[in-house]
Amino acid sequence: MSLLEVEGLRAGYGPVNVLHHINLSVEPGEIVVILGANGAGKTTTMRAISGTIPREGTITFDGDDISSNSPEHIVRLGIAQVPQGRGTFPELSVEDNLRIGAYTRKDGEVGLDIDLWYETFPRLSERRGQRAGSLSGGEQQMLAVARALMSRPKLLLCDEPSLGLAPLITRELFKIIADLNSRWSIAVLLVEQNANLALHIAHRVYLLETGRIVASGDAQSIANDDSLRKAYLGY
Amino acid sequence: MDRFFDAVFLGLSSGAIYALVALGLVVVFRGTGHLNFAAGEMATFSAYIVWVVTTWTLFGDSALPLWLATIGGMVFGFALGAATEVFIVSPLSKKSPLAVFVALIAILLGINAIDSGRWGPPPSEEIDSLFPNDPDDFVRLFGAVWRWEDIGTLIVTLAASALLFLLFAKTKIGLAMRAVASNPDSSKLVGVPTKLVLAGSWGLSGALAALAGVMVAGSQAQVTPTMMFTIFVYASAAATLGGLDSPIGAVVGGLSIGVVENLAAEFAPGWVGQEMKLSVALLCIFVVLFVKPSGLFGTEKVERV
Repeated sequence: MSLLEVEGLRAGYGPVNVLHHINLSVEPGEIVVILGANGAGKTTTMRAISGTIPREGTITFDGDDISSNSPEHIVRLGIAQVPQGRGTFPELSVEDNLRIGAYTRKDGEVGLDIDLWYETFPRLSERRGQRAGSLSGGEQQMLAVARALMSRPKLLLCDEPSLGLAPLITRELFKIIADLNSRWSIAVLLVEQNANLALHIAHRVYLLETGRIVASGDAQSIANDDSLRKAYLGY
Repeated sequence: MDRFFDAVFLGLSSGAIYALVALGLVVVFRGTGHLNFAAGEMATFSAYIVWVVTTWTLFGDSALPLWLATIGGMVFGFALGAATEVFIVSPLSKKSPLAVFVALIAILLGINAIDSGRWGPPPSEEIDSLFPNDPDDFVRLFGAVWRWEDIGTLIVTLAASALLFLLFAKTKIGLAMRAVASNPDSSKLVGVPTKLVLAGSWGLSGALAALAGVMVAGSQAQVTPTMMFTIFVYASAAATLGGLDSPIGAVVGGLSIGVVENLAAEFAPGWVGQEMKLSVALLCIFVVLFVKPSGLFGTEKVERV
């Protein structure tokens, strides 16, 4: 059974429909990348899955139908989103950002997890008392990922993590995401414009164009398909 | 020096009331970015409710004790504040912040009209003080008169601000409140029930206002429809001075406004006196905000460009 199964998803803003009948799935422990240009509907797809915008269609997560659930409930079920533009809490300290990430948890191991992610992201550990708003873009992105992990998700949604980051930092970030996936078998659904880097860590890829999935397949075959690459990835 | 300490202490006790109302303003501002213009009237209305409750006789012949009625009044204030957020502020703020402003002014006038229509004109609604306030209930410290009632007001304010500080700094609810203030969208994404948190912030503000209302009414021995008008002006000045998002700022702001206005009135009776003392306080605020626009303890926006 797929971890995430999206069928016939339609979503948009007010009268404007952005997504037209999207089908996609994420298997447990898989990294799936959705590639698409500006305005293709990548962020809308993320928001529809995390429940922050109205949507139609069926979304099934881990056996539960979450098509009409609130964002709060969806987090509790195990989907954590790293929103576009990081979505950190600028006035809160780095440590408080991590704490609030564990808001849905009732176990007593929040402190252990904070230490664990400080090990994974040493820069955050150095800046634990600093306000998140004063971090660099790369550090904020690391914080956003660490914060999402604090809810102990089964599925991590990443909305264009490379946006505004230097290529070197992006590479480091993608490496960490791939490590998280292989070490803790957290499934990842990642949307990107930066095809080159994302294809490296992806197991499977969907190509999204103006609200429709136009191609899909395993990462290798998409990367090797010259016509697809030229038409949609532009290199 | 006696005159000095008299004025300082008088300032601290009236400042404590400003601080208490200012704390309520800060709690709401942190959560929703609105200034609760109706806070003063919420205080007055809750004080009337407390008065009504004290006139009931529940246990045999004895009336309900004032402190118990005050707790009831705070629960009422909480409900009033939370209802204002859920039914008025939250739906309207999606449309326009200006609409919220107008609605809060409307609530201010509406509550005042209800108060005056239902209970006015004064004097009729007599209420005791929460603290001993007979003419001989005082101690002398540094030669100045420290009335028990004023000391009580001061202690209640300091205790309320200490509790609020603990709430914000040490509890999960407080963390959620700070998170919603900082980034409402991301708060939803980490599973914080933002609507509940906002209603709770307004409720807390209403409860603080109710407490202040009972103490103001007690100090003048009756509830009157206009008793919170000037106090609200002082309190909003105190919150601005301290920094609108800082509970400590609200307390320091409230107390210092109280002290400054009373010292000015005491030592420059000729050109300041009782009528002009608010202007002196406001002038000080103007100077502070000119130098430090986010207020004494307010958070300066940190943003990397």
